[in-house]
Amino acid sequence: MTAVLTRRPGLSRIRATGSPLHLVCLALAALVAVAAVLAPWVVPHDPNAVDLGNALAGPSAEHPLGMDAAGRDTLSRLLLGARTSLLGPLGVVVFSTVAGIAVGMAAAWRGGWLDSVLSRSTELVFAFPGMLLAILIISVHGEGLLAPVIALALAYLPYVSRLTRSLVLAERARPYVSAYRVQGHSALQICLRHVLPNIAPVVLAQSTINFGYALMDLAGLSFLGLGVPALTPDWGRMVFDGQTAIQAGYPLSAVLPCVFIVLTVVAFNVVGERWADRVSRRAR
Amino acid sequence: MRPTPALDVRGLRVTLPGTARPVLDGVDLTVGAGETVALVGESGSGKSIASRSALRLLPTGGVAEGEVRVAGEDVLTMDAARLRQVRAGTVAMVFQDPCAAVNPLRRIGDFLTEGVTLAGTMSPARAAARAVELLGAVGLDGSVLRKYPGQVSGGMLQRVVIAAALMGDPVLLMADEPTTALDVTSQAEVIAVLATLRERFGTGLLFVTHDLDLAAAISDRVYVMYAGRIAESGPAEALFARPRHPYTAALLASTPRMEGPRGRLAAIDGQPPDLREPLRGCAFAARCPLATEVCDERAPLPSPAPGRPDHTAACHHSDLLEGSAVDA
Amino acid sequence: MPENVLEVTGLRRSFGAVRAVDEVSFTLPQGGSLGIVGESGSGKTTTARIVVGLERADEGEILVRGRPRGGPPRGRTARLARAREIQMVFQDPYLSLDPRTSVEAVLRETLGLHFPGRDHTPRVRELLDQVGLGTRAADALPRHLSGGQRQRVAIARALAVEPAVLILDEAVAALDVSVQAQILNLLADIREQTGIGFLFITHDLGVVRCVTDEIVVMRHGAVVEQGATDEVLSSPRHPYTRLLLESVPRPGWDPQAIAAARRAL
Repeated sequence: MTAVLTRRPGLSRIRATGSPLHLVCLALAALVAVAAVLAPWVVPHDPNAVDLGNALAGPSAEHPLGMDAAGRDTLSRLLLGARTSLLGPLGVVVFSTVAGIAVGMAAAWRGGWLDSVLSRSTELVFAFPGMLLAILIISVHGEGLLAPVIALALAYLPYVSRLTRSLVLAERARPYVSAYRVQGHSALQICLRHVLPNIAPVVLAQSTINFGYALMDLAGLSFLGLGVPALTPDWGRMVFDGQTAIQAGYPLSAVLPCVFIVLTVVAFNVVGERWADRVSRRAR
Repeated sequence: MRPTPALDVRGLRVTLPGTARPVLDGVDLTVGAGETVALVGESGSGKSIASRSALRLLPTGGVAEGEVRVAGEDVLTMDAARLRQVRAGTVAMVFQDPCAAVNPLRRIGDFLTEGVTLAGTMSPARAAARAVELLGAVGLDGSVLRKYPGQVSGGMLQRVVIAAALMGDPVLLMADEPTTALDVTSQAEVIAVLATLRERFGTGLLFVTHDLDLAAAISDRVYVMYAGRIAESGPAEALFARPRHPYTAALLASTPRMEGPRGRLAAIDGQPPDLREPLRGCAFAARCPLATEVCDERAPLPSPAPGRPDHTAACHHSDLLEGSAVDA
Repeated sequence: MPENVLEVTGLRRSFGAVRAVDEVSFTLPQGGSLGIVGESGSGKTTTARIVVGLERADEGEILVRGRPRGGPPRGRTARLARAREIQMVFQDPYLSLDPRTSVEAVLRETLGLHFPGRDHTPRVRELLDQVGLGTRAADALPRHLSGGQRQRVAIARALAVEPAVLILDEAVAALDVSVQAQILNLLADIREQTGIGFLFITHDLGVVRCVTDEIVVMRHGAVVEQGATDEVLSSPRHPYTRLLLESVPRPGWDPQAIAAARRAL
C-alpha cells in the first residue's frame, strides 16, 4: 500500500501487536459506546438535580462515585456525559470522512486544475490549527455542540482527503479500472461501485484514529468553556467544573472524567491502529 | 570422476504449514563445475523454491529435509556465519526483474562494489578495478559506473546485475527467469553474455525458466519439474527430441513455435494439482493421456532410459513414449 | 456492407519529444485476426490504447464498421455505443478484475449496463460456458481463481458487450505455457463462433504465428513491415523483422550472432 495513515506521534507508539491490549481496548470502546446509548435508562439520579447539602460528598451506597461541588451525582453525570462526549466526535468523524472522501476522490480522479485547487485548499486547512479554527467559529456562531463539530470536521478533513487521494491514485492505475472504462461504465459508477469499496477499509481505519483525537479536542474545548452549554453533562465540562474542587482537596469529580477521556482516546487509537495495520498488511 | 559439483541436491523435501503435500518432494539435482543446467517448470512447480534452497532461502515456515551441497558443503546444516559467507561469495543470484533488484537511488558503480567491500573481501580500489573488468566481460564500458539505474535500458541493467553477481567470484550462479522481463532481442544479448561468462570464469550456472525452448537452446542438461517433483532430466537435445515423460512431451506440443503446423495447439487439459490436496500417485496422472490405474496408486520413481543412463524420467509408461517423439 | 470492421489511418501520438506512435495505419477485415508485434517502447500498446479509447491520438482516424470513432463520449448512449464497438482484454489477469467482485457479478454488471431490463441468468451461463468456466466458478472471487481462469473471466466480460472488435493486449503473456495454449485455442473457437475481429498486441512471434492472419511489425512507434503473417514470417523484408525472428530461442540458436546483429541495426 503506497498511502500512509497520518498518525500523531506519541499516541501511535502505544501499538498493540497481537496482544490482549487490543482486545481490552476493543471491549472498553464498546462499553463506553453502550453506556452512552443506554445512559438515560440506567442513570441512578437526575444528573442536574442539585443537592447542595451533600456537595463534594465522598462515595457512598447512594452515590457510588460521590458528588461534585454543586451537589450533583458524579456517576450519573459521567454516564450521560458519555453521550455528548461521543456524539461530538462521531459527528466530526462522519462529516470529515464523507467530505474528505468526496474531495480526495474528485481530486485524484479528475486531476489537473481541480486537483491543484482541492489539494492546495486542504493544505491551507492543515496549516491552520484545528482548535484555533474551532474557537474562531464558536466565537462567531455562539454556544452549542454544532459549531465546534463543524469546525473540527473541517480541521480533520485534510487527513482523510489526502489519504483518499493517494489511495485513489494508486487504485486508478490498476487495469481493472481501465477495463470498466472500456466497458462503458461512467466514472461515477466506477468510483462508487469499485474504487470506494476497495479503499474503504484503510480510510475507515484512519477515521477511527481521528475519532480519538476529535474526542480529545472537543473535551479541550468544553474545558475552556466553549461549545457545550453549561448545564449539559460532558466530560470536558466536568473537568472544568471540578477544578475548584481539586484545589479544595476533593479530586474525585474532576479526576474521573479525565480518566475516562484518556482511556477512551487510547482505546479508539489502539483499535484504529490495529485495524490500519491489518488492512495495510493484507495482501491483495 | 568430475570435480566436486557446484551444486548437488539430494532428496530435497520442503514442507510448508497448511499444505497437504510437500512443495518439493524428493528433488535430486546436480550442477557440475562450469556446467549450465536449466530447471524448467510452470508456476507453482517449485522450481524457484528448489533453486533458492541453494542459499537456504526457504519460504516462511518452510521445513527442508535432505541435502543441498554447494561446492561440497551442506547449506542446510551449516552455521549462520558460514551461511553468510556462502551467500556473500560462493553462490550468486540474478533475479527476474533487474529494475527491482537495483536500488534506483544509488549509482551503478556503488551497486557493483558495495557487496564485496562491505563483506571486506576486497579493497575499494580492487573492487572498482574488478567492476570495470566484469562490465567489459558483459559488454559494457566503464562509463556505466557513474550512471543511475534509470539511465540505462532493461537489458543493460540485467547485464549489470550479472556483473555484480560475479563480483564475489561465485562457484554457482543462479539465474531465476533472468530474461522474462526483457524483450526478445535483449534476451538474446543476456543469454550470449551468460554463455561467454561460463566459458571464461568456469562458473556453474543454474538457469531457472518456464521456457523449454530457451532452456534447450542454452543448457547442457535440463530438469523438468512438475508439482514439486523432477519429472524428467537429461541432455537438452535428447529431452527435446525424445521426451520420456508425457508432461515434457505435452509441454513441447503446447508451445507456439516458429516451425511446424499453424493453428490449434495441443493444449494440456486441466490444471496442476492443488497444494491443499494430497497426492497419492503420479502428480500428472489427472492430465495425462497415458495414465492407467498404476499411475493413481504409485508415484513413479525416476528411471533411466535404456542405454542412456543420463536421461531419466519419473513415469510408469516412459517406454510408450519412446519413438513417438514430438517433433520439435 | 463495409468489408473492414476496423480501419486505422495515420495515427500519431507524441509524449513530449518522443513519437510513441508515428503514422500507423492498418485494417482489420470482418472476422479477421491481426497481430501488432514489437518490443517494449515500440508503441504497440499505445496504439491499442488509442484504438480502444483509453488514450487520445494527436492525429489520425479510426473507423469501426465504416463509422468514425469520435473523441471522448458525451453521455450514456454514446459511451455504451462506443463500448460495443471495441472491447479489450488486458495483460495481467491478476489486476484486471476488481478483487471484490465475484465472477457472476462482473458479468451481470456488464449485461445490466448494456442490456437493461432483461433476465441475464441464461446469458451469464452461456458466457461462462463459452469461455470454458463451469457454473461452479460463478460465485468465486478473482483471488480464488487461477491465472488462466481469471483470463477466461476477462474474456467473458468483453464478450458480454458483443463487440465488433476484441483487442488482446499481451493477453496470454502472463500465463504458463500449458494454460496459454488453452486460452489461445479458446480464442480461436470464439472467433469461429462469433466472427469478432481480433487485434493481438504481443511480443511473442510464436503466438502471432499461431493465431493471426495478418501482422504489423512496429519499432520506435513506426510500422516497419506489414502483410500476411505467413509471408512476413517466412520471408521477412525488413532487417528488424529478421532480427526479431532470429531472436526466438530454438535448438542450435546463436545468441552471440543476434547480439551482434542487434548492435549493428
